[in-house]
Amino acid sequence: MSDNESQESMNTSSTLPGQERYVAPADTVKLQDVDSIDESAPATSMWADAWRTLRKNPLFIVSAVLIVCVIFVALFPGVFTHQDPNFCQLEHSLEPSSAGHPFGYDTQGCDVFTRTVYGTRTSLSVGVLTTILVVLFGTLIGALGGFFGGWVDAVLSRCTDIFMAIPLLLGAIVVLQMFRTSGSVWKIVLVLTLFGWTQTARIARGSVMETKNLEFNTASTALGSTPLRNLVSHIMPNSLASIIVVGTTSLGTYIVSEATLSFLGIGLPTTTVSWGGDISNAQTILRTDPAVLFYPSAALAITVLAFIMMGDAVKDALDPKSRTA
Amino acid sequence: MGKYLLRRILQMIPVVLGTTLLVYALVFALPGDPVKAMFGDKPINAAVAAQIRAEYNLDKPFIVQYLLFLKNALTLNFGNTFAGQPVISEIGRAFPVTIKLALMAFCFEAIFGVVFGIISGLKKGKWYDSVILIVSLLLISVPTFVTGFLGQYFLGVKWRLLPVTAGSDPGFLDLLMPAMVLGSVSMAYIIRLTRSEVSSNIAEDYVRTARAKGMSNRSVIVRHVLRNSLIPVVTYLGQDLGSLMSGAMISETIFNVHGIGFLTYQSILKGESNMVVSIVTLLTLIFVVCNLLVDMLYAALDPRIRYA
Repeated sequence: MSDNESQESMNTSSTLPGQERYVAPADTVKLQDVDSIDESAPATSMWADAWRTLRKNPLFIVSAVLIVCVIFVALFPGVFTHQDPNFCQLEHSLEPSSAGHPFGYDTQGCDVFTRTVYGTRTSLSVGVLTTILVVLFGTLIGALGGFFGGWVDAVLSRCTDIFMAIPLLLGAIVVLQMFRTSGSVWKIVLVLTLFGWTQTARIARGSVMETKNLEFNTASTALGSTPLRNLVSHIMPNSLASIIVVGTTSLGTYIVSEATLSFLGIGLPTTTVSWGGDISNAQTILRTDPAVLFYPSAALAITVLAFIMMGDAVKDALDPKSRTA
Repeated sequence: MGKYLLRRILQMIPVVLGTTLLVYALVFALPGDPVKAMFGDKPINAAVAAQIRAEYNLDKPFIVQYLLFLKNALTLNFGNTFAGQPVISEIGRAFPVTIKLALMAFCFEAIFGVVFGIISGLKKGKWYDSVILIVSLLLISVPTFVTGFLGQYFLGVKWRLLPVTAGSDPGFLDLLMPAMVLGSVSMAYIIRLTRSEVSSNIAEDYVRTARAKGMSNRSVIVRHVLRNSLIPVVTYLGQDLGSLMSGAMISETIFNVHGIGFLTYQSILKGESNMVVSIVTLLTLIFVVCNLLVDMLYAALDPRIRYA
C-alpha cells in the first residue's frame, strides 16, 4: 500500500502544467481488490500467511489427517490390537482372514494385522529421527559454508560432494554389513543420516547465500548486529522454508529406504517388527498368497504418500509464486 | 568455458580421492576383519591368513594400503577377489548388462516421464492430469522392490506377458520389466518436475507476448514453453543416469540380472571387500563425470548461463 501512495505522490509532483494525468482503466488494475485489503488488520508473517493457505488446501487436510492417524497408531498400537506381534502359531500358517484377524496369517502363523500395526512405530521412528538429524546436520554444514564463504565454503562443499557421490543405498549397505545383528532403529537412522544429509546441506547453502545479500541483512549490520546474530535471527528464519519442504518430502523416502534395507537383509533383524522385514518375508509366498505382502506394503505406501503430499502442500503454501500459477 | 571446464576437473580430483578414501576406510578400517570373515566357521590357519594379508596389503598401515590400491586402480589393476578371480574381469562381465539395463530404464523414464509430464502440465485440473499425478505419487510411495514383486506377479505370473526373471545372458524382453521397475521412481519424479515447470512457464509474460504476436498455439508451446521447461528436466535426467547404475541393485536382485548391482550385493554379502571398493570407485567416477557433463549441457541449453 505504502508503495502505491509514494508512487502516486511522485506522479503528481512530476506532472507538468498542461499534462494530463494518466488514469489506468479500473478493470486492469483491479482497484476493488486493492480497496478490499483491510489495512487495519495486523501485519501477517510469512508463516501466518502460509498457515492460512494451508488450512484451505484439501491436500494438506487429507495428509494431515493421515499423518495424525499414523502417529496415533505408532504411539498406541495396543489400542488397535490385543495380540503380541511376536506371538505366532505355526498351526495358523497362511490362514485367510477371520473374525478378529482381518488380514489373516503369514507363513509363521503370525497375525498380519497385529504385525502391520506394530510395524508402524519402527518405520515412523526411522523416518522422523532421520529427518531431524539430517535437517540439523545438513543445515549446520550448509549454513556455515554459505554464510562464511571462502575456504570454509570450499572445504565444506567438497565434503558434501564426497558424500553425495556415494549412493545412499550402496553406502548404507557397506556400513550396515558390520552391524547386522543389532536390532536398534538407531543404526538405520545414523547410517541414513550419514549418507543423506548432503541434499539438505546444498539447499541450506544456496538459501543462505541468497538471503545473505538481501537488504534487511545489510540494515541489521548497519544497526550494529554481529554476523552471527544476523545468521541466527535474520538469515536462518528466511532460509527455513526450503529446508522444511525438503525435510517433509524426504521423510517418506527414508521410510522407503529402511524397508529396502530390511528387504536386502541388512536392515533390522526379523526380531524387530517392521514393514520392510514383513514385506521381505512375504516375497517367497507372493505367488500363492499375495495378500500377506499386500497389507504391510499398503500401510507403508499410505504413510509415505501422506508425507509426500504434506511436503507438496507446504511447498505450495510457502512459495507464493507457485500459488498463482 | 575452457577455463570453467578445467576448474571443474580440478575440483573433481579431491572429490574422487575423498570418496574412494571414505569407501576404502568404511570397508577395510571399520571393525570386522575381512580375512577372518573369509574363513567363516572354519578354524583360521595362521600361515594362510598371513599370506592373504600380505597379498592384499592388509598387513601394512591403513594409509599405505589405500595408496597402493589407488596406484593399482590408476592402471585398472584391481587385483583378485578373495575367491581368486581377477576383479576387473568380473566387473567386465557384469558391466555391459548393467549399461544395457540402465540405458533401457533411462529411455523409459525419459520418454514416458516427459510425455506424461507435458500432457498433465498443459491440461492442469483435467481428469487425466489427476490420474497421472496420483499414479506418479503412488510410484514414489511404493518401494521399488514392491513394484518389482507386483510386476513379477501380474505381468509375469498371472498374465504371462514378460519373463519373470532375467538370468545370466538377458535379451531385450528379459530386461524390459527390470528396466521399467528401475526407471519407475525417476519417471514419477520427472512427471512431477515437467508438470510443475510447464504449468508455471505457461503463465509467464513471454508466453503472453508470443501469443500477442500472433504465434500459433503449437509453436508457442513447442518453441517457448517446452524449451524453457525441459532445462531442469534434462539436468535431472543427466544426474539420474549416474545413479541408475548404482540404483540397479534392487532391480537386479529381484529379477536375477547378473549386472553390477547384483555383483555388488553378492560381494558385500560374501565379504569380498576388494570387489566392493573397486565397484564403488568406478561408480563414483561415473557419477562425477555424469554430473560434469550435465553442467556442460546445461550451459549449452540455457544461453542465460555463462560459465566464466
